[in-house]
Amino acid sequence: MKGERNMASKERAKEKLTFNTLWQRFGTFGILILLLAILAVARPGHFFSVSTVTQILAQSSVNILIALGEFFAILIAGIDLSVGSVVALTGMVTAQLMVAGVHPLLSLVLGVLLGGVLGLINGVLVNRTGLHPFIITLGTQAILRGVTLIISNSSAVFGFPASFTRTISVNVFGLVPLVAIIALLTAVVLSFLTRQTKLGRNIYALGGNREAAWYAGINVKLHTLIVFMISGLCAGLAGVVLLGRVGSAEPAAATGFETYAIAAAIIGGTSFFGGKGKIFGVVIGGFIIGVINFGMNLLSLPSTLQQVVMGALIIGSVALDRFVANKK
Amino acid sequence: MQAQTLVQMKHVRKEFPGVTALSDMSFDIRAGEVHVLLGENGAGKSTLMKILSGVHKPTSGSVVIDGKEYKSLTPHDANRLGIRVIYQELSVIPTLSIRENLFVGRLPVKKRAFFHTVDYGEMQRRAEGLLEKVGLHRDARTPVEDLSISEKQQVEIAKALAVDSRVIIMDEPTASLTHEEVRHLFAVIRALKAQGRGIVFISHKLPEIMEIGDRVTVLKDGANVGTKQIADVTADDLVTMMVGRQIRKNYQNESAPDGFEQEEVLFEVKGLSRRDGKARDVSFRLHKGEILGFAGLVGAGRSELMDAVFGAAPKQSGQILLHGKEIRTKSPYQAIRNGLAMVTENRRETGFFHNFDIKQNISLLPFVKTARGGGTLGLIDRRFEKRCAEQQRKALRIKCASVNQPVTELSGGNQQKVILGRWLAAQSEILIFDEPTKGIDVGSKAEIYALMRELADSGKGVLVVSSELPELLAVCDTIAVYREGEIVRVFPHSAATEENIVLAAAAGDTE
Repeated sequence: MKGERNMASKERAKEKLTFNTLWQRFGTFGILILLLAILAVARPGHFFSVSTVTQILAQSSVNILIALGEFFAILIAGIDLSVGSVVALTGMVTAQLMVAGVHPLLSLVLGVLLGGVLGLINGVLVNRTGLHPFIITLGTQAILRGVTLIISNSSAVFGFPASFTRTISVNVFGLVPLVAIIALLTAVVLSFLTRQTKLGRNIYALGGNREAAWYAGINVKLHTLIVFMISGLCAGLAGVVLLGRVGSAEPAAATGFETYAIAAAIIGGTSFFGGKGKIFGVVIGGFIIGVINFGMNLLSLPSTLQQVVMGALIIGSVALDRFVANKK
Repeated sequence: MQAQTLVQMKHVRKEFPGVTALSDMSFDIRAGEVHVLLGENGAGKSTLMKILSGVHKPTSGSVVIDGKEYKSLTPHDANRLGIRVIYQELSVIPTLSIRENLFVGRLPVKKRAFFHTVDYGEMQRRAEGLLEKVGLHRDARTPVEDLSISEKQQVEIAKALAVDSRVIIMDEPTASLTHEEVRHLFAVIRALKAQGRGIVFISHKLPEIMEIGDRVTVLKDGANVGTKQIADVTADDLVTMMVGRQIRKNYQNESAPDGFEQEEVLFEVKGLSRRDGKARDVSFRLHKGEILGFAGLVGAGRSELMDAVFGAAPKQSGQILLHGKEIRTKSPYQAIRNGLAMVTENRRETGFFHNFDIKQNISLLPFVKTARGGGTLGLIDRRFEKRCAEQQRKALRIKCASVNQPVTELSGGNQQKVILGRWLAAQSEILIFDEPTKGIDVGSKAEIYALMRELADSGKGVLVVSSELPELLAVCDTIAVYREGEIVRVFPHSAATEENIVLAAAAGDTE
């Protein structure tokens, strides 16, 4: 009897290895390879060049940075819709500081920290009101966009030191954009946090079962706060990076970027129901978004079509996630 | 002259895979009577209700309604024949108004040229008539979510009257009502009786039964052990019938010595109160080596008491002492740091983490407890994690392929052991078990009982809340009976019997 049961559970474990884990590990990667292959076949002349790699890396970086923060918000079964507005506001403030004569490096640091503070505000609001993060961040999304418009008088800010833009846009060894290195370093740090620290483990626990986490003595409110702060910090970093790449602070910058961030996290295998997902997947998800954007330009397809493809990908990958979950 | 028989159950038997819920049940409901159904948890009351309402098909036997014999009923039949069950979990739709709830699915309509529209005038008029009958003085347009529980119950009764039900079965209708509300409900029940309807009243509260009932049927192990006129029996008679002639001795722990008073006091709760009245000035002591159990009816507030002790719910007042020193338990975090642990009632909702494997579930607490390496920002020690899990796996005899297996693949009993392992890994001193064997098979139950005894013998404090009396009698040295937020009796094991516990738990208002 006992032996039978053991056998049965082993068989089940094997079954899962073939389908479930395979999708979770390589599914996203497969999509990325597929997309790159399509581009390589369609435009072999343009595709196989050094500048292609550089461009894809650079274009993906902002998406990846925002998605890394969004990942944490989704991991606790929440969401952060304010990230696009945080990018715009931190970029705007950083630009204005530099125009006012503050040293670029200090402005940069202050911009990133501002992102953290904005995230903290989201967290406090979620904790204090008990409302779903969707509602809170939908509100702050509008508020922060409004603040950006107010402080900029609804017009773009430029004229800050060229050294800033030049430094941000530099390609290390003429090949790897600095911004990509920043994004990947951030990913490495956050991956370490999720996998190796108690903080990370507690966040996964909170996402998996909020009630059980409370009974297990996890400080639910503190961890919610930390999660939104991480999301804000990542968006702040993305704001500064975007500013450097674009060369001016637009009040309407990064509009709709939360959609890309959510898409990257979900395509990357993060469960919308909380508690499941990996940083590596999010990075791949961010690259997929970048490749789609780049590929559309390369194929000279209208940018409007990008939205359609993006939308289809979101639905497809989440449906597959659900399918796999039900299969269990 | 005898009143007309509305429904008669004849030798109904109902088997589920592995269990016989009803073995041979016969009883009848007459017009104009309140027929009380009494029995312990698991005696077969809910199966009986579900057969009458057409949810379950009997394995054998029949139900006679209006002289016509039915082998089985469908929900549609039950509806058509005027049988209505009012479950404890009310089935009103909170967002709709009272009148919409009354006529949901059969709204009165007006014919227009091309389509039908809802006839609100007619609906209001009929709703008012029904509310009058059940004595609910509320505008029929009020959303149901604005009503109190007893008012919602009145809406349910009105709903039964809306389809002119002749037999109304009420499943523990007074479980969550205040004294005043019970009086009101009884007035409504008397009015229904006077209209010639038959009422089946399910309750554990003996004084209420004696007051409202006309006849009583006692269920035990799926059979009718006697139908009596209420006027002919005493509360003691009923308890004896319910518990049965042979008291199950086999579970009892014979080696358990009484007289724990001499032992060192391990844990003490003094004057604990909750704002919602689920705990009112509760005090108790747990001695070294003792297992203290809490018996009581569902809704008496035992889980709520434990939540307050553990810091999962706010306390209004009260002290908690471990080894004679006061400890603070304002949150589970504080309680855990101070050595408390709680195995909650619902494993799935408040126990394990479905997204974690066995070892992650077990080793979670030491991490929060900052047992190793610097607070929340500390690193996970994977070797420690693994060792910790393997240790508990061996100690608790958790059956699994490996500690890397997802916890969701385990049986209920093994999941419970994983949760227990988590607390033991955290070296908790006082373990609170809330319904520790809910949904667990018999073999695992015995194992869990043995583990609890081992824990107590090794010097840990064990508190148990359970609704299964044989379970409490099997594992506890002392049993406290909890009723409406208070400990009303404490029985040492030698004096505890099913009879006196049931009597103490059900005695209700003893004014």
